[in-house]
Amino acid sequence: MTTTIDGSASVTINSGAILGITSGTAVASTSGTSIDFTSIPSWVKRITVMFSGVSTNSTSALLIQLGDSGGIENTGYISGTSIISNSTVGSLVTSTAGFVAASGLTAAGTFHGSVSITLLGSNIWAAGGSTYSSASGTFVVAGSKTLSDTLTQVRITSVTPDTFDAGTINILYE
Amino acid sequence: MTHRIVVNVETGEVTQVEYTAEEQAIHDAAVAAQVAAETLAEAQAVITPTELVVTPSEPTP
Repeated sequence: MTTTIDGSASVTINSGAILGITSGTAVASTSGTSIDFTSIPSWVKRITVMFSGVSTNSTSALLIQLGDSGGIENTGYISGTSIISNSTVGSLVTSTAGFVAASGLTAAGTFHGSVSITLLGSNIWAAGGSTYSSASGTFVVAGSKTLSDTLTQVRITSVTPDTFDAGTINILYE
Repeated sequence: MTHRIVVNVETGEVTQVEYTAEEQAIHDAAVAAQVAAETLAEAQAVITPTELVVTPSEPTP
């Protein structure tokens, strides 16, 4: 028997998981100090956070934070990012407050790229990706974080936090 | 007031959530600290010589 699945449809299996990749809602990062993607289903094993032309009004490093039913967690991350191009190659920025997506930003610069966060097991999430800031160069991003419960939300913010003033952010989950 | 954007991925609903007074106070203090740190860094950059050139004096005959 041949089963054909229409490209516009999705398939839901008994566990409630949707086969394939689901896109969140792209939002303009033109105001506010953080963007939260909430109600992420419990069956999700991988989340990809995507940035295009994102800017803030100041210079603090961009962070990705994870949350569960208890809220966003802002401690306990093992995270670092290094510049792999530009005049400050090798410069390392670490954080325990979130996955560092980029550092050395300027108010005039824009930020692009993606970071994938994957479930290792037992609420342990590992992050990896590459991003680019027009102000400071290309970054390799890595880290891990153990949540206290099942992941339900992801926050994109910055250390201070600064206010977003340009760009688009979205997530994929699967 | 400062706010955050909340996207519900199940419904696609996008909402704007205003900071509470307590969150706003914490945010204002963090911004003030960041401005102070940047001002200090700029001041240190002004007074730090970028290169020190030592010119040996001619030997006295």
